[in-house]
Formats: sequence, structure tokens, C-alpha cells
Amino acid sequence: MPLVRKNPWKTLQSRVMFAACAACTVLIIGVLGLVTVYLFSIGFGATSWEFFAADPTGNALDPGGMRNAVVGTLILIGLASLIGIPLGLLAGVYLSEYGTERLLPGPVRFVTDVLAGVPSIVVGILGYELLVVPLGNYSGWAGAGALAFIMVPIVARTSEEMFRLVPDSYRQASAALGATRSQTILRVVAPAAAGTVVTGIMLAIARIAGETAPLLFTALGSRFLTTNPSEPFPSLTVQVYTYATGPYPAQRELAWAGILVLISIIFVVNVSIRLVTLRVRRSPA
Amino acid sequence: MSALPARTIGAMEVRAPHPPVPTAPAQGPAGPSVLDAIRQGHAHTAAVHESLRSEQAVIEAREFSLWYGKRRALYAISMIVARGKVTALIGPSGCGKSTLLRSINRLNDLVEGVRIEGSIVLHGVPVYAPGVDVIGLRKRTGMVFQKPNPFPMSIRENVIYALRINGERRRAVLDEACENSLRAVALWDEVKDRLRHSALGMSGGQQQRLCIARAIVAEPEVLLLDEPCSALDPVATLRIEELIRELSQRYTILIVTHNMQQAARVSDYTAFMYLGRLVEYGSTADVYQNPRLRETEQYVTGRFG
Amino acid sequence: MTTAVQSSPRTFGRGDAVLGLAARGSALCILGMLAALALVLLAAALPSIRTFGVGFLLSTDWRPNEIVGAGLDAAGNEVEVVSPPSFGGLAVIYGTVVSSALALVVAVPLSLGAALFLVRVAPRLRLAGVLSFLVEFLAAIPSIAFGIWGLFVLAPFLQHVVEPGLKSLLGDVPGLGWLFTGTLNIAGEVVTRPIPLTGRDMLCGGLILAIMVLPIITAVSRDVLRAVPRMQIEGTLALGATWWQSCAAMLRYGRAGLFGAIMLGLARAAGETMAVTMVIGNNNQIEPSPFAPAQTMSSLLANEFAEASDGLHRAALLEVALILLVMSLAINILARSLIVGGGPRAAAAH
Repeated sequence: MPLVRKNPWKTLQSRVMFAACAACTVLIIGVLGLVTVYLFSIGFGATSWEFFAADPTGNALDPGGMRNAVVGTLILIGLASLIGIPLGLLAGVYLSEYGTERLLPGPVRFVTDVLAGVPSIVVGILGYELLVVPLGNYSGWAGAGALAFIMVPIVARTSEEMFRLVPDSYRQASAALGATRSQTILRVVAPAAAGTVVTGIMLAIARIAGETAPLLFTALGSRFLTTNPSEPFPSLTVQVYTYATGPYPAQRELAWAGILVLISIIFVVNVSIRLVTLRVRRSPA
Repeated sequence: MSALPARTIGAMEVRAPHPPVPTAPAQGPAGPSVLDAIRQGHAHTAAVHESLRSEQAVIEAREFSLWYGKRRALYAISMIVARGKVTALIGPSGCGKSTLLRSINRLNDLVEGVRIEGSIVLHGVPVYAPGVDVIGLRKRTGMVFQKPNPFPMSIRENVIYALRINGERRRAVLDEACENSLRAVALWDEVKDRLRHSALGMSGGQQQRLCIARAIVAEPEVLLLDEPCSALDPVATLRIEELIRELSQRYTILIVTHNMQQAARVSDYTAFMYLGRLVEYGSTADVYQNPRLRETEQYVTGRFG
Repeated sequence: MTTAVQSSPRTFGRGDAVLGLAARGSALCILGMLAALALVLLAAALPSIRTFGVGFLLSTDWRPNEIVGAGLDAAGNEVEVVSPPSFGGLAVIYGTVVSSALALVVAVPLSLGAALFLVRVAPRLRLAGVLSFLVEFLAAIPSIAFGIWGLFVLAPFLQHVVEPGLKSLLGDVPGLGWLFTGTLNIAGEVVTRPIPLTGRDMLCGGLILAIMVLPIITAVSRDVLRAVPRMQIEGTLALGATWWQSCAAMLRYGRAGLFGAIMLGLARAAGETMAVTMVIGNNNQIEPSPFAPAQTMSSLLANEFAEASDGLHRAALLEVALILLVMSLAINILARSLIVGGGPRAAAAH
């Protein structure tokens, strides 16, 4: 005989709320699943070899492919990574390994968080004012700069966390053997954290691969295949946006295909992150 | 015996740092114990045995005190570590023995807010003097930690780490040093076929011997062992103890241990510490069989602590 | 005399100097990035701030071009009147606030329910791993993808099914007429007319934002709820609480962190650009009806910035960007302080 007799009304309420919570989960997964299924199914129908092999024709009725945009996005990611990854990693090293210093670490950590929350359209405008206006034209450099700006805080915070996960006993053992701080960081801490730091970098790459707003006023977009970042530069996202908001059905088809390619890239990156984290977690630390 | 020393440290801190000078005798078979006096914050002059007079000091602490922020961890420790001998630091947890060990190679520098007073001299060099080359100092001392902490690298890279950071690149030199070190810790035959494998795949006892090999590869003058067996099973512990006896022919060894029997088995000298003070220090035989203080006897026979 | 232990300069080799410099330099660079952001926007927005002052926040005017119309001069003669371009941010601030609020109203109950399910039920069903991965992957889908989906799937669905249905259901209910009629300012004359239902409106913007913030709020709430000590749950169950009562206790315990999760969602919604731009209709006016097209700060920027040639127009857009920046930073900072600093522990202390 329980001391507290269950109130039937409360029991009913509890059952209803349980069902509601389950329904919420189903609904969320359902809606998001619906979005994904749409993107995949229409995208598959629209994707063809021509998408990767041909550049835009300029003819709205027979728009060709998006080879230039795929190449452009890859180059932009590469350029942005060149700036964003080293800067982010070093800032991560600073926050984790020099985090006991008196003046800087607190503000830097705070500002890094703040930067991660800056709307990407604002980053695009900053890129315009800082890189487009002074250089005189829209360019791949400006686009890469804006993307790097978005990358830095993500890489910095994730790599800081990963460096922190390296046991202190490694640092002590290294110091006791007479290693300087930089030797300890470069020879012991960084290799030990490398596996997981890579996931942070991939996360950042997945994020910038899908960014549109920062590129609108920096790289602008281009119909042509180019490898010269001093010119207006094509990207998958901007081209998809242009096609999707335009009036031509053939271009809209291509936009769906472009989104499919983009999401596939991001999906692959996410799965790899998952696998890397699982492997790291399983191996003895 | 009801007071648990380790647990009362926090409470001790609240009391006045400078209580009235006691009238009670500091030593003697009866009356309030020395440990009680220490708990109340009184100064204590360590009972240091004559046997140490004849020894040549490799390390000498002079009135050495240390604070972690506001918490005082060591109280004016004065002692020597004898050349070519094994010296054991024993005492209940929180007595400062590990702190003392880490003060010798200045590993406490890594902790924020550490202050010191007094000095420690290693081979005639005051290690806390301004301008001392701390990196060089640490290269002259090898250290082994409580838990085996091999780096997540291959066995070979672990052993030769100290040489690598010294800039040694010659393969022959590295190979030879690696083999010699591993032989010295009786690990060579077990691992010579898998030097390129990860050190993390070894057993705990093997890992700890690897850490010792890593510590001696650059031929340090002193080996500092911080409870090296506390994470190991009895068989692995026995092997490490044998190893310590062997290594004592080549190195001066200072070992912190929780285990009284271990101190008795491996050491030539034993220092008993309590709440940051050195209580009694002498040859292991004397400290165990003929201690000056009743409290030391009680501790080494396991009646408290 | 005691000595603070300090490593002497000689303990640092050249490598230390280089790495230390690089790491500190990068840290300073991060500070510089925020400073550059704030200073550049402020400087570029200055002409607009000078011209319109506080009025910018209170005016719904957004006329990039001058208007030439008829008017009377002081003597009563009919003359040509030129009203200069005029800018005010109220309409887009309203658009951002309302669309974000709409998104939260839809997303928060769903997310909290799902988070409870993920923490309390899913682990027993061995679903937690899969569901968590799904939620995280969905959080990584770029906003342009949601935009395309919204534009080609959600908006037509609203236009052809939902909105006509609602109109036939509610259109004649007294007091709800404002839902389906809007005002139009034609050459100074205010005309009332039915809103053309296009599906690209405030409702669609709010819904797409809701879908986009669902994964974030769910994921962060899940982490917050997971951090509630087991004892809290077991304690209530031991007292005979029902499943829901113990859930309510969890929500109460984690309320600061949950609020932070919601604020993170709000920050994302407020700063979101592409998806909203594609579905909100881009009408720079305040309309009370959710079925009328609207404009948010970010969609205004996306639509007009590239074409803004006039100096004052550009400055006004930059002032909008500055307001957007300040707003989303404030929300973000609030959110993070609640999740990290306050968290469940601070809530328990109340």
C-alpha cells in the first residue's frame, strides 16, 4: 500500500503529457525528415552528369551545369581554410595552454563566443566594407575572407575544448623530462588532440560550405569557371540562390540539384565526424 | 587515534596560525604527541638521525616552505638526500611528500599561485635562484608519476622523447639509447619486436617501467619517483621494486610512497612527514626498528595513518 | 620573505617565443576581429545616424528614391514638391521581432517535449544515439536549403491549402477581419483591400524559422536536461510523483539553462538571412496580419545592399546591420551566460 495514493487525474495528466512529448519528437523528426526527403528526391531527379561537367550557358532555357560553382566553392573553402584554420587553431592553443595568463584569456574566450553568434549577413557586409571597397571590385579573396571570419571562432572553441581533453599528466611528464612549453604543445599535446581537433575543423568546413549570405556582397558570384580569386567568384550557394529566386524552371531544377550536392557534402562530413569521435572515444586515452 | 590526519587538514586551516607557545614537552614517550602539536600549528624540529651526517648530499633543502595560493603545503623543511642511496618519503596523504618531490624539479611551477621560501640546492646549484635554467634543471632529474603516463606514441618514441627534444637526430644514437634504457628497466626482451607499436597497448606494469626508461634515457643525476606503484598490481609492484634496487647502483633515488613495507624494502633512508613538516629522518633500519619518536613508530607499524 | 615562483626567461627557448607570440597574436587577432566589426559598421552607418538620429528606430519610412509630387507652396500655388529619400528601421525591426517570436511560439513547446523524450525515454529504447545524430545533422543543413524548401514546398502549400482554408473558416468571424485585409498607401491615399494570399508572408517566414531553430533548441535543451542530477528525478519519483510531475521538476530545475537554449534559438532566428529572404515576401511595411508579406532586418540587407548606390541608402542599411549585430550579440551573450554560468546549479539555488 503506497503512502501516497495516486491521484487518477494526475495519472491521466501524466499519460497525456507523455504522449505529447513522444508526439513532439515524432513531429520534429517528421518535419525535418520531410524537408530532407524533398531535398533529396527532387535533387536526385535534377542531378545529372552535366551538372558537374558543364558551366552555365547563360541561356535560361538550357542552363547547362554548375561545374564553375562546385569548383568555386571548393576553392573558396580552401582559401578560407588557409587563413581560418591556423588562426583558429593558434587561438585554441592560446585559450587552452596559455589560459592561466592574467589579462587576455577571459576576454578572448568571451569574444570568441560572441563572434560565433554574429549573423552571417553582417559578416558579409563587413567583408564588403573591408575587402571589396578598398580593392575596388568583388572578388574571391573577399569571399574567402568573410568565410574565414566565420571559421575562426568555431575552430578556436572546438580546438580549445579538444586540447583541454588531453590529460594533464602528459604535460607534466613532458615538462619533467625538460621539454619547453612549445615542445610539450607541439610534440605531445597537439598530436594527442589531433584526431578530435580534425572534427572541429570539419565542422567549420561544413558550416562555411553552406554559407550564402557572406558571399552575396563579397565574392558576388560568376557565370564562368575561374581560378583567379581577384575576380568575382562563383559559389554553389549563391548560384543556387540566384537560380531558385529567378523565374526559369530549368534553373530552379538546377538549384535543387545544387542543394543536393551541398547537403551530400555536409552529410558525409557529419558522418565522418561521428565516426572519428566514436573511434577516439573507444581507443584508450 | 581518533583524529584522521588527512581529513582534518581543512579544519586546521581555520585555526590561528600562531597559537600560544606550548608548555607541553615536544618529545617523549608519554604526554600529548608531537603530531597533536603539529596539528595545532606548532613548529616542530625534525628528529634527524646521526647516520645522515656521513652522507654526501646531492639535494639539500634549507628551511624550504611552499604555499599553493593561501594554503601552506610545506613548513621549513631542511633535509639532505644522500648520493647514490634510495631515500623514501613516507607519511599520510596530504603530508606534502609529493609537493616536496615536485619542488626539486620545479614541476610545481606549472601550478598557478605557488610561492616558496627558503631554498633547495641540487648539486650545489640553488634551484630557485633567479635566472636558473629550469628546463636544464629538469633534464638533470628524471621523474616518474603515480599513474603510468606514457605519451600516446610508439614505445620507441616514448623512450627517446627526452633525446628528441634535445635535438638528437642521429638514428644510431637514438636506437642505442632506446635499447639501453629498455634493458635497464628489463623491458627490452618483452617489447623489442614491437617498438613501433603504441605504448598505450602495454600493461600497467609495463607502462610504468616504460616511464622509468623514459626518465633515465638522458642520464639524469637524480630519479624522483612519485608513488610509482600505487596504480599497479602486486606482481608489477614487485618488479618495479626490484628495478629500483638495481637502479640505485647508478642513480640517486628519491621515492614517495604510501606503502610502509615498500619503503622498508627499497630504501636506505626514510623520512617521515606529517602535515607539511618533516617529523623524523634517518636510516630506514633505524626509523623502522629504533625510531626516536613514538609517533613514527606508530605510523610505520601501521597503527595510524 | 617569500618568493612568487616564476620561470626565468631562460626557461623559454626560441620555440617558446615563436609559439607564444603566434598564439597570443591569434588571440589578439580575435579581439581585433570584433573591434573591426563594430568600428567599421559604426563608421559606415554614421551618416545615417547623424541624419535620422533616434528617429531611425521609430520611423517606418523606407524610401530610397526621392518622390516628386504635387503640393501647395506658402502662397497657395500648386508646385512640384520633392521629398528627399527617407529611412527608418522600425518596419524591419518589427519584422525581425515578430517572425522570431512566431518561430519561438511554434518551436519551443515542440523542442522541450522532444528534449524530455530524448532524455527520459529514448535511452531506454536505444534510440538516443540515432535521434541525437539526426538532430545534429539537421542543425547543420544550410539555410539556403531550408529557403528552397520553403519557397517551393511550404509557401505553395500555405498559399493553396492552409491560408484559403483559414480564410473561409475565419474570414467572416467578426473581429478577425484584420487577418485578411491590409492597407495600401497609394499616392498619399490609404486604401483598404483584401491581402492577396501568396504564401510568401510573415507566417511562412516564422514557420521556416521555427523549423530551423528546432534542432538547436532541442539539442541544447537535451544537454541541459541531461545535466539535471539523477537524484533530483529519483527523489521526486520516490515521493510518488507521476512521470510528468518528475519531468516538470526537471524542467523547473533546469529552467535557467532551458531559457538559455531558447535564447540561442532566438539568436539564430533573428540573424537568419537566406531562408527568410526567400519566403517572407520582402515588403517593407508593418502589417498586423501574419498573411501579409513582411521584411526582416537581414532580408532587407540581402535584398538591397548590393543595389544601394546612394550614400545615405547604404549608410541606412549599415545602421540596420549595426542594430542587427547589437541585438543578436545581446541575445547570444544572455544565452551563453545562462547556459554556462548560470545553468542548472544556479537555478537550484533560487
